[in-house]
Amino acid sequence: MASPFSRRLLGRRNKATQVERVRERRHEGFLRYAGFRWAKISGGLCLLIIVSYALVDVRPRHNGGSWYGYTLGTIGALLILWLTALGYRKRKMTSDHWSLKAWTSAHVYLGLGLIVVGTWHTGFQLGWNVHTLAWALMMLVILSGLYGVIVYATLPQALSNNREQMTQMQMLEAIRAFDRQLHSAAQPLTPEDTAPVLAALDEDPFAGGIAARLSGRYPNCATSSALRALTLSRSSDAGAREKVVGLLKQKEAALARLRQHLRIRGLLEIWLYVHVPLTFALIAALSAHIISVFFYW
Amino acid sequence: MSFILRRISTTKTGKQIIRDAALPGDTITLGRDGNNGIHVADLAVNPHHATIGSADGRVVRVAAQEGLGFELNGRTETLADIDSAAGGELRFGGHRLTIAREDDKIILLVERIDELSQSSKDVDEARAFSLQGVMLGKRMGAWLFAAVMLLAFLVGPIWAWYSYRQVNERPDGYHADSAWLSGPLSSAHASLKNDCQSCHVEPFVAVTDKACVNCHTGEHRAMSMAHANAPTAMLLAARHPPGVGEKILAGFAKTFNKPQGRCVDCHTEHEGAGPMAATPQKFCADCHEGMQGRLKAAGHPTMLADAADFGTGHPEFRPLVRAAPGAKLARAAPGKAMVDYNGLKFPHDLHLQATGGVARMAASFRGRYDFGKKLECENCHRVEADGVRVKPVEMERDCAMCHSLAFETVGGVTRTLRHGEPDQVVADLTAYYRSTPPSRPLQLGGMQRRRPGAYAEGQVYNIYFNEVAVRPSRAQDAVRAVFSKGGACYDCHTIFAPQAGRGWRVAAVEQTPRYLQKGWFDHDAHRETACADCHTAAPASKVSSDLLVPGLRQCRDCHVGEGGARLVKVDTATDSPCAMCHEYHSDGGKPWLPPRQRRKNTAAITNKPLAASYGVSMITGTGGRGLYEVTWRTPALQAARRGG
Repeated sequence: MASPFSRRLLGRRNKATQVERVRERRHEGFLRYAGFRWAKISGGLCLLIIVSYALVDVRPRHNGGSWYGYTLGTIGALLILWLTALGYRKRKMTSDHWSLKAWTSAHVYLGLGLIVVGTWHTGFQLGWNVHTLAWALMMLVILSGLYGVIVYATLPQALSNNREQMTQMQMLEAIRAFDRQLHSAAQPLTPEDTAPVLAALDEDPFAGGIAARLSGRYPNCATSSALRALTLSRSSDAGAREKVVGLLKQKEAALARLRQHLRIRGLLEIWLYVHVPLTFALIAALSAHIISVFFYW
Repeated sequence: MSFILRRISTTKTGKQIIRDAALPGDTITLGRDGNNGIHVADLAVNPHHATIGSADGRVVRVAAQEGLGFELNGRTETLADIDSAAGGELRFGGHRLTIAREDDKIILLVERIDELSQSSKDVDEARAFSLQGVMLGKRMGAWLFAAVMLLAFLVGPIWAWYSYRQVNERPDGYHADSAWLSGPLSSAHASLKNDCQSCHVEPFVAVTDKACVNCHTGEHRAMSMAHANAPTAMLLAARHPPGVGEKILAGFAKTFNKPQGRCVDCHTEHEGAGPMAATPQKFCADCHEGMQGRLKAAGHPTMLADAADFGTGHPEFRPLVRAAPGAKLARAAPGKAMVDYNGLKFPHDLHLQATGGVARMAASFRGRYDFGKKLECENCHRVEADGVRVKPVEMERDCAMCHSLAFETVGGVTRTLRHGEPDQVVADLTAYYRSTPPSRPLQLGGMQRRRPGAYAEGQVYNIYFNEVAVRPSRAQDAVRAVFSKGGACYDCHTIFAPQAGRGWRVAAVEQTPRYLQKGWFDHDAHRETACADCHTAAPASKVSSDLLVPGLRQCRDCHVGEGGARLVKVDTATDSPCAMCHEYHSDGGKPWLPPRQRRKNTAAITNKPLAASYGVSMITGTGGRGLYEVTWRTPALQAARRGG
């Protein structure tokens, strides 16, 4: 028989699960999790720091070396380590009510709060040194994260609109189908005309560097140039050529959809390529910052 | 001779089906066109790409027809002879043609080996559709960036420290530990910018005083005497109870081995270029605010009054005075009327009156001395060469313009009593009577008897007619007259009558050169303020024992606390930290101030219009004469100095 204590605990757990279910049903995201609980906590912390900074009389002036600076620095460093731990936490499945969503919500809002903790820790004394480097890296990480939050909130809609119920493999399959049709349709063409078609077939739909991915501009697109070449060409049989031109147009449209898809996905992902490596650069610079302070104590 | 065209197709289950078809003729054409013997549906292959033939049934000759060649063993050829027994592989576009020999028959095997198009190739969906293919991996980037940071900003600086740790001065150039510089050094230490090790001698050891006194060998070597002589327990007890912040700081200091009480606690560095900031008031007030009570409670009772802020909490000044005639110099007791006996009789009010005898006399000397319509403070009080303090008054220089000691003129030469030598005065007068009887009465009186304007320095005034009653007829009478009430000496000095074995004596005059021993007052810094603005009691002072040193109240007319705290209304406030007047290291010296704080625009501090404070110059018209400019006048009474 369960003791009253465990029953109460069970009840609380049940209630927590129930609350969680309601949240799931409402599609409550990590931003508005628990009625902006972490936004409030983080905002309160920032307010506390800004007000106490103005009220606390630190001599000769505010900087990282005053007691106030030490306090903020310690809070900031621990916060950075905890924020980094999200990468570990998200790989762990738990059934606890410290859900990943709660953790992400805290990560976002406390991370934004770190702007105040870190900047006020400096006492606004910035220079060309490792201390300011650590601060700058921290700001870059936070700003890239802020960008991430913004694109996560806005871009999925665009991604979905672009897909039009297709999966990304279906998009690729469409291009493959047009390629096959192009191949056979181009058989009667003269070698002069087949060369651009061949180039179009040879084009890797995933080619292009990071700039092309993010801008969605492919100025040297072989399909487009094949289309241009064949529209102007007079060498092959007109009927066969027209068929190929039609197929090229369709392939171009399919390619454009895929590329738009890649672009939005790129925009959704690019911040992580800044956020994650710079986080580790930050932790290294932070270590150098802390060790340097004690080394030249 | 026959060619066999072999085609291999693969079923869904992976089973290969081989179909052979004999090709008629000795020469077979290969191309994209349907009429060819071997039809290759490949856009990379020309309509009539090549011919394949064999003259002897063994060696196969492949010849390209329409410009485009084929690949044989990786090289592009247009003509090739291949021994069918040895076999060979040729590439036409995306297809492979394998030549082999089986039972006198030449087998031609044609297969598509390339994908139809790039997009047809298999892709790893997760990789291809994400940025993984085009960006440096996140993990890789993380390792790379972190390694660069650690190398450049941790290993590099430590290496720089390690390689110069025993060096006094590093060579010019970049040193990696300059990346650790938390802020520019003050201008005094700017040259040490590259030499971190000159102060940060040992790693993980807080900067020691030893590093400071290696260069600062002078007065900064020690704490102030007052603090250095105090027992440590007393110094510790003097400190105010730490607040939350200080507890945190102390916790950090204790945890990370940062001892307190070092030079750098007050003289903070890396606070920005320019002169090092003056030590803030807080470092003094931390102990001196409410210290008396704390020390008393700790069993170290002290006379020292509490001081927290000049504007609001500062004890009244205790100047060095003689509380009674002939008494020893001692600091005035707090809360009592300030008196200072210097041995002189001098009524300031009489001398500073705008009307009356003194003013008339001064006016009569205009042009001869730097007098105006009346006497001004600086007519008698002269400042030292450095402008900081006022010189002691000297009779010959500062009084004798009016207070002549001449008693006779002989052939145009004035004879004067010796000042400061009573025995000589007695001897001169005795000699005078011994030689010739006075042709006319001697002038031996003090200042009361003079007629304003009639006396200039060294003149003898003939007062025959009303002097008969007091005219000394004998030497003893003359000596008695000069030392008694109404006599020249008595008017200014305290006289002791002759006693057994001693003649007439004059009480010693001792003027205190510096009244405020614990604080520093610079007259030069206040040169644009009129004397009477601070020495407010002077114009009304009747006796010389009135102490005319200004009190706290006068200072607070302009000076407020470091943070601007004040008790009274101040029009133009001067923020005054402790270090403005008090020097920590050398008790008697001038406090150190950063250059930019040294010279204030004192005209702005003075409340009154500038002209009013120059009353003298308005009268005399010599505007260029500064109040405290040190000018040496022609010594008065040259004759007297030569011996009369």
